[in-house]
Amino acid sequence: MNGAEVCCSLFIVYRSSLKNSAFIVSAFEERIMKKRFEIVSGAVVAILVVAGLYWLGVRSMAPAHRVRAATITHPMAPDFTLTDINGAKLSLSDYKGKVILLDFWASWCGPCRIEIPWFVQMQDRYRDQGFAVLGVAMQDNPDSVNNFYQQFHLNYPVALGNAQLAALYGGIYGLPTSFVIGRDGRIYSQHSGTTGAVVFQKEIEQLLADKSENEDADFTPAGEPEEIEVGTPAEANPDVPGVDISKLTPGQLADYKKQLEGAKCTCGGCKFSLLQCRRDDTTCPVSKKMAREMIKQMQDAQDKPKT
Amino acid sequence: MRRFPIVLASLVISAAVAFAQAPKVVSGHMVLDANAVHAGSTVRAAVVADVESGYHINDHVPTLDYLIPTELKLQPAAPLSVGDTKYPKGSPQKFSFLETPISVYQGRLVVRAEVNVASDAKPGSYDLKGSLDYQACNDRACLPPTSLPLTLSVKVVPRSVATRPANADVFHGLKSN
Repeated sequence: MNGAEVCCSLFIVYRSSLKNSAFIVSAFEERIMKKRFEIVSGAVVAILVVAGLYWLGVRSMAPAHRVRAATITHPMAPDFTLTDINGAKLSLSDYKGKVILLDFWASWCGPCRIEIPWFVQMQDRYRDQGFAVLGVAMQDNPDSVNNFYQQFHLNYPVALGNAQLAALYGGIYGLPTSFVIGRDGRIYSQHSGTTGAVVFQKEIEQLLADKSENEDADFTPAGEPEEIEVGTPAEANPDVPGVDISKLTPGQLADYKKQLEGAKCTCGGCKFSLLQCRRDDTTCPVSKKMAREMIKQMQDAQDKPKT
Repeated sequence: MRRFPIVLASLVISAAVAFAQAPKVVSGHMVLDANAVHAGSTVRAAVVADVESGYHINDHVPTLDYLIPTELKLQPAAPLSVGDTKYPKGSPQKFSFLETPISVYQGRLVVRAEVNVASDAKPGSYDLKGSLDYQACNDRACLPPTSLPLTLSVKVVPRSVATRPANADVFHGLKSN
């Protein structure tokens, strides 16, 4: 019996107990009341579930990423090379063997400003144990990033990111988004939105305790586990970010881009063409999915034997 | 009939999940205060935009200098040109990531702009294009700056043809900064 049926049964028992009282209810009236009760209780359950899902969605901004910790795989962190704001080369591969906190942020992002002072403290605290913070400012300008760097006394490298890097790291849905990377170069956790300092500390300390460069099979995420999704270098292209176009000839790419220009993204209030959405909003999961389906159909049609 | 509450719950839950995954949090359109215009006239256009519940976008005049303002950008195209733009007053809200409240837009906002029609405008339909540029956050994270593309079709009619007011619900009693 479900909850509604239990409640209805109890209700009927209660009403039955009043059989000999002055408040006798006819069988027909009882059926009507029972049906109304079922409808109302179903609606209340639905409203509570919707409210709960909405709260989780708003709070996380990445509801699709929530998973059970046991199901999370730890992909290798895609390598990249940028130029930091001091003009030095910043390559992830230069930090192999260290535990890394890779933080995607922006100077215009209020929630990011909560976390960054913690990261400055963590850099000082764990530096000698083989820990490094790397900051990547997204959709920002050099002056604002420089001013922020000075104002907050950042003690770790910061570079300006780009759409290709965002595509390599799964699309960077919102800011801040941080990745905790182990000594073996694998991503062990992803955090979307402001995350408590304690969560980062626990995860960093777990990974620092493992001195080997093998995969840490005992790692346990300290916060809400999120699915970790990374892109491939072929998907991190400036033409159609998030879509592997490496197998297309120049002519096929031109045709594909025309098709994307002619189709509209159907997410929320977006009125962009698919191509524009892919370029201007690499985080959009709807245009990414639509663009990938379109290229697959195109490639399937070309692979089909001609009769 | 027994299954109705379960079906109802399933439909509503599916809608909620789909809603929660939509990345564009501002939707909207542009309207004119008249059904048509005459050459040489000035009319009012308005962008009616809705910010998804749980999110906010910054006031046109941000409280803090590092916040990205909400801005309406309209591209003049003959015979249409754009005059003054008036933004609504934001409401002060306190968020967990800031110590003091900031002025933001939540829910529905209406941004008005004057549209001038050239005196030599020929009868016909002309498109006024632009965008509402904004940057949205919720209490924990921020989405990248983005734009809501806008197009307003303006119909120029001869002086002999009467025009009548339109979209009174949008233009009536608007307040601005």
